[in-house]
Amino acid sequence: MKLRTNAARLVSQVLTGEVWPPLADRHAYRVGPDGQPFALPGMGGVTLGVHCGDPATGYASDHLEPGASVRHRDPAANMALQFLTCVGNPVRVETGPAAGATGHVIGQHAYVLADFPERVLAGITTGDAVTVTACGQGLALADHDSIVVKNCAPELLERMPGGTRPDGRLEVHVAGAVPAEAIGAGAGMASEYANTDLMGAYAGLGEDLSLGLEGLRVGDIVALADADHRYGRGYREGYLTIGVISTGQCMLFGHGPGPSSLLSGPAEAFCLVDDPAANLSRWYHQDLEATP
Amino acid sequence: MSMPPAAAATPPGSPVPVQARQPGPVSAKPVPARLVSVNLLGLVEHPEFGGGPYRVDADGRPYLPVGDGGIVLGLQLGDSVFGRSADHAAPGACLMHPDPAARHALAIYSCIGNQVKVRTGRAAGARGVVIGKRGEAGRVIAAFRQADLAAMRPSDEVSVRACGQGGRPDGFPPGLTVLNIDPGMFAILPMVRPSSRGDQRVSVGVRCSVPSKLAGNGLGRPAVSWDLDLQLPPPSAPASAPASALASGQSPAPDGGAADVLLGDFVAVTDIDARFNMGYRRGWVTVGVVVHGASPLPGHGPGITPILTGPADVLDIRHEAASHVGLTASMLKLQ
Repeated sequence: MKLRTNAARLVSQVLTGEVWPPLADRHAYRVGPDGQPFALPGMGGVTLGVHCGDPATGYASDHLEPGASVRHRDPAANMALQFLTCVGNPVRVETGPAAGATGHVIGQHAYVLADFPERVLAGITTGDAVTVTACGQGLALADHDSIVVKNCAPELLERMPGGTRPDGRLEVHVAGAVPAEAIGAGAGMASEYANTDLMGAYAGLGEDLSLGLEGLRVGDIVALADADHRYGRGYREGYLTIGVISTGQCMLFGHGPGPSSLLSGPAEAFCLVDDPAANLSRWYHQDLEATP
Repeated sequence: MSMPPAAAATPPGSPVPVQARQPGPVSAKPVPARLVSVNLLGLVEHPEFGGGPYRVDADGRPYLPVGDGGIVLGLQLGDSVFGRSADHAAPGACLMHPDPAARHALAIYSCIGNQVKVRTGRAAGARGVVIGKRGEAGRVIAAFRQADLAAMRPSDEVSVRACGQGGRPDGFPPGLTVLNIDPGMFAILPMVRPSSRGDQRVSVGVRCSVPSKLAGNGLGRPAVSWDLDLQLPPPSAPASAPASALASGQSPAPDGGAADVLLGDFVAVTDIDARFNMGYRRGWVTVGVVVHGASPLPGHGPGITPILTGPADVLDIRHEAASHVGLTASMLKLQ
């Protein structure tokens, strides 16, 4: 984006975490929209085969978290990891066969979600230590006072197309538009923690559940209508939130593919450009494939 | 429809012959079943804060949350949800259990209308009634007479006679799911009655209907233990009103035209299916009882405990607007 920011004034912090296992209980099953019991993988650990640019839905999975899911063992340090880490921050693997490989953060979901090339992921497993170089919280736009930036590495904004227009609005390229009815679990939570599950994307289930969001892809930049995520996540008519789809397929009702919040402000402060290519894979995935 | 007449009402908390709630589309025919009651121990909750005193409202202003849990005095069923400078304030005492799993059970099994009795402390022997519950860790909201409430203190032990989950009054249409309510309550709730058209629908009087897009915290969570927060603006909010007030410029009652929402009101939320987790399903309606007040927190607001959910064609929603009378202390014999 062509715009003026305070990026030069931000500091980076070195954070640690470990690939955290999927969690279950002895009752195994959870309940889908029609009361169907399910026990499906996707959340926690290392999820293979789905990366930025791939479809978000259509998998036999629940709360699909592409790549490695990371937490810190200490609860307070974990909150620091979750709050300070931003989309686009680098993640380095420190232990195990993949040690030395670098990926990047694609979002938060009560885990920090880190995408790596498939051949790197194949060598990562639960318990592997990672280092996140966190930078981005506090990022502000000099010429867009009403827009608040969240969870966004300065490099991500630089790589995204658009920027400050002559009319003063911020041009943002988006691959999808999300109606307010789609907002599910995550409403009412801090915008720096987890993400906003979108309902209406239960591929293969009833038409009465659909809000036309089955075509979302992991990494898509989307615009959430009537959503104010400046200081939490709530409904507010006339506001807009830009997010990046960081999680995919859900079977749990009231949940679904979720955007991590990036930008939020009054709708009139934005100029949205429909751009099916507006996806993290366009700005990050190519770099990853070149990782030794 | 054979809902019992008020004169022959079974007291809330008593065993009532009912039909088992259907688990979904799996089986078509209701199985007659008899509810059991369980005595649960709740402790009166103490309010808790995290690391600092402040929360942050929708416009980024710090505020100090008052009334969020524990014992709240001076707030009663029938008061406006917007009447206090408070956060999620509920009319009565919130009950919890120190063991997390027992706490979830307390919240899940307790139903609106269940009788509670104070066992310890200066209010020992006082009677109260469950009027709702709240989510996440699990809280049961119990109403008491104000004099009893004033004598109570956090950690007082309260016994809850829990009964209701799995039940449904005889004659309710098969597609209508009943939850979180003592079956005996239907006899004393004037707003719930057979449809006047002679069909099998259940007619429910509500303060207003709210579109699903105003539903907030509680979406994606189980309706047997969480409430569903509604992001309603205060009745006189100007179009530019901030607050998690949220739905700036929008009437809280687009269908009913009501100017306010009161604690205990029945409210319908369109396009929400609350049989299991709460979520969007086009053409459905969920009716709940308003159990706590507004909140400055974005994505939060007055919360309902869902009691009825089904396709819109099994419910006859009557918008009573200003004439609506919800759950009251006199209905619960707490005056």
